Amino acid sequence: MSLEKKVGAALFEVIDPELGINIMDLGLIYGIGVDIEDNVEIKMTLTTPGCPMHDSITNGVKHRVSQIEEVGNVHVDMVWDPAWNPGKMSDKAKGMLGFG
Amino acid sequence: MKSDTNVKLPLAFIIYALIALVVAQAILFFNNDLLLAGQFRLPDIWMGAHFLLLGYAVMIAMGAMYQLVPVAFLTPIWSQKLGYIQFIITAIGVTLFAILLGVQPDNAIYGGILAIIGIIMFIIQMVQTILKQKNKNMMTYFVLGAITSFFLTIVAGFLLAWNISYGGIGSHNTILASHIVLGVAGWFTLLIFGFSYKLVPMFSLSHGFSMKWAKPAFFTYIIGLILLISSFWLDFMFLETSGWLVLFIGFSFFVLDIKEILAKRIKKKLDKPFTFSLLAIGNGLAIHLIAVLLKVTGVDHPTIWSWLIFLYVMGWIIFSILGYLYKIVPFLWWTHKYSNKIGKEKVPTLKEMINEKVSVVLFVLFTVSVIGLTLGALFQIGAVVFIFQGLLALTSLAYAVSIVRVLFV
Repeated sequence: MSLEKKVGAALFEVIDPELGINIMDLGLIYGIGVDIEDNVEIKMTLTTPGCPMHDSITNGVKHRVSQIEEVGNVHVDMVWDPAWNPGKMSDKAKGMLGFG
Repeated sequence: MKSDTNVKLPLAFIIYALIALVVAQAILFFNNDLLLAGQFRLPDIWMGAHFLLLGYAVMIAMGAMYQLVPVAFLTPIWSQKLGYIQFIITAIGVTLFAILLGVQPDNAIYGGILAIIGIIMFIIQMVQTILKQKNKNMMTYFVLGAITSFFLTIVAGFLLAWNISYGGIGSHNTILASHIVLGVAGWFTLLIFGFSYKLVPMFSLSHGFSMKWAKPAFFTYIIGLILLISSFWLDFMFLETSGWLVLFIGFSFFVLDIKEILAKRIKKKLDKPFTFSLLAIGNGLAIHLIAVLLKVTGVDHPTIWSWLIFLYVMGWIIFSILGYLYKIVPFLWWTHKYSNKIGKEKVPTLKEMINEKVSVVLFVLFTVSVIGLTLGALFQIGAVVFIFQGLLALTSLAYAVSIVRVLFV
């Protein structure tokens, strides 16, 4: 399995504590990049700017990804453009929220 | 952006407030005969009312603002050190003031002065914090409107306490009416409006709403407050009816926005405590409508108006706070205890930190108590007032315990 895929799989274990749904199914992860030294760059967003869980979730992502053996440094790039919208959620997340 | 506020600061306010809630309801229970007689302007009722409004509602509002202002306005608290000093002074001042109102009203001003110093420190703290906000929005104006009303409320309150101690100020009743309107409608309502624009979308995960009624709601409600307060000073009945009508229209604009936010929510199944806060919005709208109808039909019986003010305070303000607190305290405690553990080990969700089933029972009991108490008083049935004020006091105690329990998860 490639390191990108390992990181993606690990992020399924980071749960948004307010919604009780993992950040991958919520569609918060926009991209995972790995350089030649296995440093990981994660581009992500939150459901709303000014989310009080901002630091908690960002640190959760760093902690979980750092636990993967091959990973070097982890950098989280929080972006607001494009803004998150419900269409980014998986069907599983939509089902859990009773949406759609 | 996280709230940089140390958890101890908002929690200190919240724990003091929960104790004050139980004390207030116990005082009102032991004076249920005065409630039955509709005698609200007596020292013991003043004591209970000020423990409820200053001790519980104001202290909760202060604690919640120390937590929510940095989150909602994306700016850190101006001085946390001032926050701790302000907490101690306000807590001592409010306690002393409420007790003196009950046992030595002539000396209440001394407790009042201390409470006012604490409140002014809070106002300076919040104004300094909010002024640092880069991009002002409608929420900013609601909170500034609320803080301005709060300042005017304590000025009016100081004049009342001065008059009780030394006399010499005419228009005591007019100042009292202005004090009540500025406090409950100006400070609390504008504050709940403002924070609801952040909290309702956040807790319902709403997207794509417009907030198009926020500005009309703000200006209309402010105009309503000015009209109503002016009517007390000018003693002009038409102005009073107009004031209530404009307040109702302002509240309706706010409800239109909340309706749109909820219609566009993604989280279809809402948490029960949050639903209770939404129910309080419905209560608030109904109470404003009843006030308009009473004025239009010329109903001026003081007992009816006393109980309408009671319903305004309990059904709208206190119920809103009771519901939101079930979300705010778990969030505070989760951030303190689990924020650095997420991603390393399994941590509970916010919902797992509360017992939602118990909250439903408590919220039903609060609703039943308030309805029973009001009906008992309006129909002058002593046993009903006794039972439901007793139930309200016990429910408040159980509620306080259920919130404190979160801190042991």
